[in-house]
Amino acid sequence: MRRGFRRRIPPVKILSDCEVEAIHRATLNLLEEVGCRFESKKALEILKKNGCIVNYEDFRARIPAYLVEEAIRKTPSSFLVRARDPKNNMMFGGNTLYFMSSAGARICDPETGIARTATLEENNQAVLVSDALENLDCFPSYTPYFEIEDVEPVMLCPTSLASRIRYSSKVSRGAQVTDSYIWEIQLARAVGQQLLGNMEAAPPLSYPEDAINAGFGYAEAGFPIYIAAGAVMGGTAPVTLAGSTITNNAELLAAVVFLQLVRPGIGIIANDFVEPIDMRTGSPAFGSLGCSLHHMAFNQIWNGFYRIPTNNTGAAFPNSKRIDFQGGYEKTHIAMASALSGANMIVLHGGVSSELSYHPLQAVMDDDIAAIVGRTIEGFEVNDETMALEIMKEVEPMRGTYLNKTHTRTLWKKEYYVPKAADRLTYQEWLKTGRKNSIDYARDRMEELLAAHKPTPITPEQDKEIDRILEEAKKYYRNKGLL
Amino acid sequence: MEHEILAGLKKTVLDYDIEKAESIAKDAISKGLDPLKCAEALTEGIRQIGEGFEKGDLFLVDLVAGSEVVKKALPPIHEEITRRGQKTASLGKVVLGTVFGDIHSIGKDMVATLLFANGFEVIDLGVNVRSDSFIDAIKKSEANVLAISALLTTTVMEQKNVIEGLGREGIRPNVKVIVGGAPINQEFADSIGADGYGSTALEGVAIVKSLLGTEPQKHA
Repeated sequence: MRRGFRRRIPPVKILSDCEVEAIHRATLNLLEEVGCRFESKKALEILKKNGCIVNYEDFRARIPAYLVEEAIRKTPSSFLVRARDPKNNMMFGGNTLYFMSSAGARICDPETGIARTATLEENNQAVLVSDALENLDCFPSYTPYFEIEDVEPVMLCPTSLASRIRYSSKVSRGAQVTDSYIWEIQLARAVGQQLLGNMEAAPPLSYPEDAINAGFGYAEAGFPIYIAAGAVMGGTAPVTLAGSTITNNAELLAAVVFLQLVRPGIGIIANDFVEPIDMRTGSPAFGSLGCSLHHMAFNQIWNGFYRIPTNNTGAAFPNSKRIDFQGGYEKTHIAMASALSGANMIVLHGGVSSELSYHPLQAVMDDDIAAIVGRTIEGFEVNDETMALEIMKEVEPMRGTYLNKTHTRTLWKKEYYVPKAADRLTYQEWLKTGRKNSIDYARDRMEELLAAHKPTPITPEQDKEIDRILEEAKKYYRNKGLL
Repeated sequence: MEHEILAGLKKTVLDYDIEKAESIAKDAISKGLDPLKCAEALTEGIRQIGEGFEKGDLFLVDLVAGSEVVKKALPPIHEEITRRGQKTASLGKVVLGTVFGDIHSIGKDMVATLLFANGFEVIDLGVNVRSDSFIDAIKKSEANVLAISALLTTTVMEQKNVIEGLGREGIRPNVKVIVGGAPINQEFADSIGADGYGSTALEGVAIVKSLLGTEPQKHA
C-alpha cells in the first residue's frame, strides 16, 4: 500500500467550533428549504422513496436534515482503493495525506508557456514520468492532457485511462462525461483494479444527468466515489467565504445522501475546488488566497466534523502561464494551507496554468513540493535519541563539532529533505557547472526517468482486452452520432 | 425639467439603483418624455460603466449591476416606443448562448452585458442550448450575429455542429458567427468556419463591431 504522509501535528483550525456549527446548520437549512436539483427521474425516485420532498417538474429534491446526518454517519472515515499492483493500493482518510496528479488541456513549452495539443506519445511519456515520481500517489480523470492529437473529444476519457493503465500501475479516477464510466469500469476490470468513481455537481445546487449516471455506474460497480462541486465565488456561489462554504457543503452533501441511498456504506472522498471569481475576466482566480482559505474551512468541517475524507484541488492550477516563481508560490501556499488544515489528498503535480496546460517537468518539480509539504505535517520526533542531550554534553563549547558524530551521520537523511530538482550548489559551483536552474535539474531528472523507469507491466491479454473495449466505445459513440 | 429627468435616469444606472429603476422609468414616461431619449439616457449610463470596466476602474460585478438596472427600466420605455410607432436604434442584433451539454454562463453573460452596453440588441438563449434552438432563434429574430460559447473540451465540437446546421438551413451567409470560451483558440475557430474568435469578452465585442461595421440599424 502507498504510505503517503502521516500527519502528526493537530490540524490548523481556521473556524471556531461555534462557526462550524453555524455553517452546518445553515447547510441543513439550505438543503431542507431549497434542496438540490437532480436531473434524473431515477435518482429523484430513490430520493423521494427515502424521505425527500421531490418536485419532478423542476427536478428538485428537498432533503430533510435527519437524512443528511444519517448519510454522513454511514460514510466511512477511511476506505481502500485497490490498484492493479497492490504496492499502489491506497487507504484514504484518517491522518494520511496523499498527492494526486494535476492535468491540463494542452502541453506547454516550459520556457515560453505557449500551449499546444499533445500527441499520444507525449501523453504516455507524461504518465510514465508520473508513475516514477515518489510522492505522486494517483491520477484524476483525463490526465495528463484533456486534448490529445487525433483523439476525438468523446473518446478522450477512455483513451486517457487506457494510457494510464498501460504506463502506470497507480490508482486512477474515472470520469463522468458522456457515459465514459461505461468504458472506464470495463477497462479497470480488465486489469483487476478499482477506480475512484466520479460525480460532480453543476453549481449552484445541481447535478446533471451525466454526473448522476456516472454516480450510479461507479457505485453499482462497487467503486468508492470522488465527489466534487467547484463553484466560483461571486458567480455560482456567494462571494463570501462563509457563504460559499455553505453552498459547497450543500452541493456535496446532496451527493453523499444520494450515494449512501444507492449503496449504503460506500466510500466517499469529497473534493473542494471553490475559487474566487476574477472580477476582470469572469474566470476563476486560480492560485488565489480565497482558494486556500476555502480549503482550510472545508477540511476542518469535512475531516474534523463530518469525518469524511477530503481532497483539495487549488494547488493543482496556478494562474501563471509559465513554470516560474508565481506558479511556484501559487501552488505552495495553497498546498501548505491544505496540508496544515488536514486534507487527505492534494491535487498538485504537473499543472502549469489554470487547467489549460500541463508539463511533466512541472510534475518533477512539484514532487519536491509534495515532499516538503508532506514532511511538514509529519513534524519531527522528540525523544531521547533526537534530543541528543548526552551528545551535547560531549561537544566542547566553541571548539566542538557535531559533524563527526555517528548521530549526525545516521540521522541526517531522516531529519532533512534534499530536493531532487532544485539548485543546491554554492555560487562558485553554480558558475562553473553551467548556471543551471530548477527547470534544468527537472529536465535532467525527467530524461533519466523516461530512459530508465519501467512501470509494472500488464499482460498481452490485458492489453488486447483494452483495445477491444476502446473499439466497443468507438462503436457506441458512433451509434450515438458523437463520433 | 426634461434634462433633469433624463439625468436622473442615467444616474439610476450609475448608482446601480435597481429598486427605483422601474418607477423612475414609468415616471419619465408619464411626464411625456420622448421614450427614445429615455432609452438613450439609460444606454449612456451603461456605456459609462462599460468604459470604466475597459479602463480597469470598474469590474464585472459593476457591469452586471448596471445592466440589471437597465433591464428593469427598459420595459415601460419599450412599451411607449411601440405605442408611439417609433423604432429603436441599435448597432445590430446578436443571438448568443452556451452550447448543448455545457452549463457555463459567466463568460457568455459578460459578453451579453458588454454588447448591450455598446448598443447591440442581445437575445440571450442561456445555457445548454441545442443546435436547432440557435438556428430557430436566428431565423425568428433575423439577427446579424450568432455568438456561441463553450467551456468544456467535450462540448467545443457543438460549435461546429451549429455552424454546419446554419449551412444546411441555407442561412449561413446571412449571419456572422463568433465563438469563444477558454478551450477555444483562433486555430479551432478557423477550422470550424467561424467568422471570428474572441479570447476575452472585450475582444469579442470588438470583433462583433468589426464584423458588422458600427452603423446603427433600426429595429421595430
